[in-house]
Amino acid sequence: MSIRTESLITLARPRRRDVSFAGWLDREAVFSWLMMALPLLFLAALVGYPLVYGVLLSLEDRSVGHTGHFVGFKNFITDFHDPVFWRVAANTFVYTIAATLLKMVGGLGLALAMNQDFWMKNLIRALLLLPFIVPTVLSTVAWMWMLDPAFSVVNRILIGLGVPKPGPSWLGTPLLAMFSIIMINTWRGLPFYGITLLAGLQTVPPELYEAATIDGASGWQRFRFVTLPLLKPIILIVTLFSVIFTFADFQLVYVLTHGGPQNATNLFATYAFDIGMGAGQLGLGASVALMMLPALALLIVGLTLYMRRA
Amino acid sequence: MVTGHGRIALFVRVWLPVGFFLVLALFPFYWMAITSLKADSELYNQRLMPLMLRHPTLQHYVDLLTQTNFLLWTWNTMLVAVVSTAISLVLGTMLAYPLARMRFAGAGLIAMTVAAIYLVPQPLLFLPLADVINRLDLGNTLTAVILTYPTMLVPFCAWLLLGYFKTVPKELEEAARIDGASRLQTMRQIFLPLCTPGFISAGIFAFTLSQNEFLYALIFLTKSSVRTVPVGVIAELIRGDVFYWGQLMAGALLGSIPVALIYSFFVEHYVAGLTSGAVKG
Amino acid sequence: MSSASRRDFLKVAMAGAAGATFAPARGRAADKTVTFLHETSFIPPFDDFFQKTLAPAYEKETGVKVAYELTSVGSSPTRISTIIETGSGADITIIFLLYPFLYADKLMDVSDIAEEAGKQQGGWYDAAREAAVVNGKWRAIPHSNIGQLMNWRTDWFAEIGVKTFPETWEELYEVGKKLKARDHPFGFELGHGFGDNHGWIYPLLWSYGGHEVEADGKTVVIDSDETAKAIDFARKFFKDCMFDDVLGWTDPSNNKAWMAEQISCTNNAESILWFANRHFPDIGKVTDQAQNPQGPKGRFHLLDCQSHAIFDFSPQKEEAHKFLRWLTAEKQLGPWYASADSYYQPFLRAYDNAPMWQVEPRNIPYRDAMATAHLPGWPAPPDRRLAESVAKYVIVDMFAKACTGTSTKEVIKTAEGQLKDIYKTA
Repeated sequence: MSIRTESLITLARPRRRDVSFAGWLDREAVFSWLMMALPLLFLAALVGYPLVYGVLLSLEDRSVGHTGHFVGFKNFITDFHDPVFWRVAANTFVYTIAATLLKMVGGLGLALAMNQDFWMKNLIRALLLLPFIVPTVLSTVAWMWMLDPAFSVVNRILIGLGVPKPGPSWLGTPLLAMFSIIMINTWRGLPFYGITLLAGLQTVPPELYEAATIDGASGWQRFRFVTLPLLKPIILIVTLFSVIFTFADFQLVYVLTHGGPQNATNLFATYAFDIGMGAGQLGLGASVALMMLPALALLIVGLTLYMRRA
Repeated sequence: MVTGHGRIALFVRVWLPVGFFLVLALFPFYWMAITSLKADSELYNQRLMPLMLRHPTLQHYVDLLTQTNFLLWTWNTMLVAVVSTAISLVLGTMLAYPLARMRFAGAGLIAMTVAAIYLVPQPLLFLPLADVINRLDLGNTLTAVILTYPTMLVPFCAWLLLGYFKTVPKELEEAARIDGASRLQTMRQIFLPLCTPGFISAGIFAFTLSQNEFLYALIFLTKSSVRTVPVGVIAELIRGDVFYWGQLMAGALLGSIPVALIYSFFVEHYVAGLTSGAVKG
Repeated sequence: MSSASRRDFLKVAMAGAAGATFAPARGRAADKTVTFLHETSFIPPFDDFFQKTLAPAYEKETGVKVAYELTSVGSSPTRISTIIETGSGADITIIFLLYPFLYADKLMDVSDIAEEAGKQQGGWYDAAREAAVVNGKWRAIPHSNIGQLMNWRTDWFAEIGVKTFPETWEELYEVGKKLKARDHPFGFELGHGFGDNHGWIYPLLWSYGGHEVEADGKTVVIDSDETAKAIDFARKFFKDCMFDDVLGWTDPSNNKAWMAEQISCTNNAESILWFANRHFPDIGKVTDQAQNPQGPKGRFHLLDCQSHAIFDFSPQKEEAHKFLRWLTAEKQLGPWYASADSYYQPFLRAYDNAPMWQVEPRNIPYRDAMATAHLPGWPAPPDRRLAESVAKYVIVDMFAKACTGTSTKEVIKTAEGQLKDIYKTA
């Protein structure tokens, strides 16, 4: 950082307090709060208020068209007794953790592969982002068709290899259905992970690699001790985004299986939607949705601690 | 790792892994494309190899464009995405600049609150927000989604821009201050023009999220003329229990191509803006 | 449709950002307008008939405009709950399933219209009363049933010597076993759709004598021998006649499977036949429809009654009432039904022999099925607790879990626990 001589002199001179209105506006605190006022008001009105409202709703016995009565924690107790609720909670965690891990590892692999110079790299980079760009509901409809055993290419291959017709049911078997949604979510998010990590890779100074090589480090050791530590901040950020989005996912399941088979793919979001919009039980639906917050906070705290430690 | 430069080494080092990811990423688009070009009789025929196209037809595209409001939905989607993105960038900047540059009491608290807001997921807010929108009598208007989309976009933009702002060197602003510029002038005339890559990257991401949004649009927009592409396509190309698969796929492709084109222009900046914020932030 | 959509597009594009799509709907036009919320009909001529013939005719007669607001299939519940919560948005609406009961106190009492129509047009089917009468008062005027029937491939059934649709579930099962062996399995939805799963599961349960909750709305009676028998049947029906994928099916799946010639029998509304006739005529020729098979305790069908209701808080409710009365008269109703061939099955007996049934005689079983049709969850009173049970797929999942191997005892116990929680009995 270069320091100009004039500024040195200015610093040496004692500052006069500027007491005009413009001067007041320029004070750090005043300026900051005024600048932040509009966005904070916006968020307070459209996030804060609904959040408080949502919490109050969850404490009420409220269905559409009727006034609610305060019932304390009754909705939450109903949820805790509801076996479907626990299934939904488990599903959401499994879905989020599995998909995030796959995206992280796959994304890293993609980033490493792309971190080389080759023909049409920019075009390929843009093409790779297509799964992320296409509206989720539309690509999910395509997946619906692709996973139909009668039309699935994978099933055809398996049948050719001797598996009995019609082959595995990707959306009919609970285990495979969960696998399917994890896979589709990974397909959708991996390129985004990869391209972002790639950007991180490109900021690693080559000198560090050279120094490591001179010290006799193998490719793997270079990766582990040079690349990974430098990538950690960006991995953390992308993972945080990804975890939040995946945990709150609605579209994929709503279109593909609507929570079936037998709630094997039901997530917090879809369950809350069914209860709130399908059965008109706004209070109960809000209570299910609210349970996402502590669960999500837990995941994130755990993730951050792990990243900080490792 | 393979480090040779011969043809074979190049293939293994570059084209094998890259090709692998390309196939994985693009295979569904190939499927969408051929499905949209197959006549129904070929489409439903499970004896035919689904990956091949025998008698391509543009009928589904024609039907999509003439029998549904697809063009209208596309217009709505783009409009909503652009305006929401603009709002989010402005509000995000207004949040991020003080947090990046100023010292004041409560800065840490605000930063944490913004991050925490990001944790509040859509499925929790949609019920109360539906009520707010209804009370304001904004049901079935694009204003409803233009107002609600920034709730998920602003925290993200603020976070991203915050990281990016911190990496911009302070000298120019300091010089301007010494020359007597007010903070506002400094911000608007000196600082913001330097941040274009950050805006582009935050803007592109916000735009993508916006045109992909489904839940709020599903709840607030039930009239066909105000729908966005995701909701319109799902709600109207699925009449009861009949899926118009060909048209659905045509809609999927037509719905993603404009955004993909935009991406291809900006992907350089997108990546640059994202990283410098994240790595050093 | 095309010119309308193009005009719409141009209108909005021209108006730009300040266009009408931004502002909330302001007050009514100077002359009276009644807003009629409806779902897009599966049969486009039905909507056309209203917009081009009925609405203008009413305006000519009375000077009152009727605005026909269309929302996509399945989205009216969301729209209606919005209208109810805000107190405005439409005056009359389509309404179905359990919603007349959930919103009963927001809907105008239309018993006078109903009684009059019943007297003049041959009387109502009982199912109509079941769907629209809440505590003795008609809260909606039932317009039509969208029934669920058995669809079957006459050619494949004929190959094994079956010329008419089997009478009982057991007979159907035997046919299914043979057909599956010939690579023409059955496909009945066991996933989380909405219509096609309930469409056969509830009738199956009822035909064996099983019920969720008694008519008193308090006693949970799912745990019974009858239920167990129904479940055991469903399990073998699935294992020997169907394939795994049906467990994950949603409503469009069986339509797709039918056009792909994957299955030989399923339950569905009229959409399979309608679509086949138009797009796959060869398949349409060999598709037929039949009433549900019988069980030991009778033959049952699912009731999906589409009704029209007036919002009690509407400032236009008197005008809406007059309009609904006019609409329900035979002069208007008859031709409106006819415009959709027989997709909509009327609840008034005067139409039992209407000419429209001859247009596609294979739809006649839909008319006959109405006599044995009931709402999901029958005989429990249709209230929010039943709605919660349906939204949580309690009965569907009970059957589905049994089909995947869980013991009958266990699935009944789980369902009973869920129902008891919902109905809050000890």
